[in-house]
Amino acid sequence: MIRFEHVAKRYPGGVQALSDVNFELERGEMAFLTGHSGAGKSTLLRLIAVLERPSRGQVLFDGKNIGRVSSRQIPKLRRKVGVIFQDHKLLTDRKVLDNVALPLLIAGFSWSEIRRRVRAALDLVGLLDKENTLIPALSGGQQQRVGIARAMIAKPPVLLADEPTGNLDPELSEELMRLFCTLNELGTTVLIATHDLDLVERLGRRTLVLESGCMVDDRNAGSIGADNSEGANS
Amino acid sequence: MSRMSGANRGDLRAWARRHGYSLLSSVGTLIRNPITSALTISVLAIALTLPLGLNTALVNLEAVHDNLDRLDSISVFLDVDVDEGGARRAGSRLSNWRNILAVDPVSPDAGMRELAGASGLDRFDVGDVPLPWVLEVTPNSSVDIAELAQRLRRAQQVDMVIVDLDWVRRLDAILGVFSRLVVLLAVLFAASVLFVISNNIRTEIQRRREEIEILALVGATPGYIRRPFLYSGLWMGLGGALLAWLAVHAGLWMLTGPVESLAATYGASAELVAPPLEMLAGMLAGSGALGIFGAWIAVSRQLARINP
Repeated sequence: MIRFEHVAKRYPGGVQALSDVNFELERGEMAFLTGHSGAGKSTLLRLIAVLERPSRGQVLFDGKNIGRVSSRQIPKLRRKVGVIFQDHKLLTDRKVLDNVALPLLIAGFSWSEIRRRVRAALDLVGLLDKENTLIPALSGGQQQRVGIARAMIAKPPVLLADEPTGNLDPELSEELMRLFCTLNELGTTVLIATHDLDLVERLGRRTLVLESGCMVDDRNAGSIGADNSEGANS
Repeated sequence: MSRMSGANRGDLRAWARRHGYSLLSSVGTLIRNPITSALTISVLAIALTLPLGLNTALVNLEAVHDNLDRLDSISVFLDVDVDEGGARRAGSRLSNWRNILAVDPVSPDAGMRELAGASGLDRFDVGDVPLPWVLEVTPNSSVDIAELAQRLRRAQQVDMVIVDLDWVRRLDAILGVFSRLVVLLAVLFAASVLFVISNNIRTEIQRRREEIEILALVGATPGYIRRPFLYSGLWMGLGGALLAWLAVHAGLWMLTGPVESLAATYGASAELVAPPLEMLAGMLAGSGALGIFGAWIAVSRQLARINP
């Protein structure tokens, strides 16, 4: 589904975010991406969502080199990837409903269908009663969950999350991870960047470890060893 | 086949819905910022009122000018010793000329009264100087007046021929200057409409940078992002044109009284001509198109900056 081949990313100004990254994420897989802050986790996610283009190497999405697609095709690709941002990226002057509805508005769904789906998504993240609340009236954790509802509402095949549990207490984090697992069981490919190692360990999923721009470890932790991928021994 | 057309219908419906959402969103933005919107539309209206008002003034002056064309007549003063019968015979003789449309004999008494009336005096005492009969000759519209006047001068019993065309020509020239001025102003103010709208949209985009970025992040196409702004530009253009139209009408309404008094002093009645409805349609279309164009410029520049 997603495959990195010798990917490097250098930002203008000389910051080398990624040096030489190789890995593959199978369709329907769920993995964690860990590493210190500044290790390049966010950059890696941004490359998958075509928010950045690689300086070197290839990022393949469904076999297509998305680092090279024309800018006309970028919107189409982004609709296949639901992204949960660390800083939420919500429209602060709108209601929860309008924020979550955004991907469906873009796709041109009917308003009744949008209402129905938004309610279902908000129910899933436990914010059904906040439908008409303005974003600033929500806590950080609630805003995070609005972001998750928005990312999954259009049912994209891939879900990326950048520190989704950063603002949440352990109980909520746990709940959220269960939500990701549920979505994954329904067939969504999930990649979560986090430094919450306890959580990663408890869930026992495949874990990719970045260190100063390089993939230093790729382990299929614990009991679920069946979905071993080819990048595991590199 | 039927499945394909069904899919197309679905696409069309989604497309229509996207447009509907953009339209609503643009109206929402205008309503959420009532003062900014009102100010912008007022500025546009003023910019459009000037050329439209001047054009209306021109149209009305041209109407006056057309009336004056009837005064393009030639006054033929007969010899003083020609009596009424002689004058009428001379008149009917002249009216047979190919270049002459009509001949209107004016008696010395009538001429006197007209002169007195025009000068504002009850009586105009010229003493014992005898006044001649005058033939007011209306030439055919296509005729060379100077040449005709020359021929009239050579005719029998004619003492003097007066052609007072200078001021008509002068008015003509002034109107020519005016209409060129209208064109210049229209171009200038059309440009200002473009700049006002694109500047307004630019600030609006600055304000909504975050929103544009988020839309791009969740997969909105540039077209989708651009659309609400284009609608905003359209609304501003239309609003400005409509307000300018109303302003010109209000101006005409306010001028009606004074103009009628002015016309009355010339013993004429004047009716101000409002700009035709086609012009409103043209202005709405033009201003709306300028609005969309201005918004397009502003948004495209901004979008290029946001997308990697």
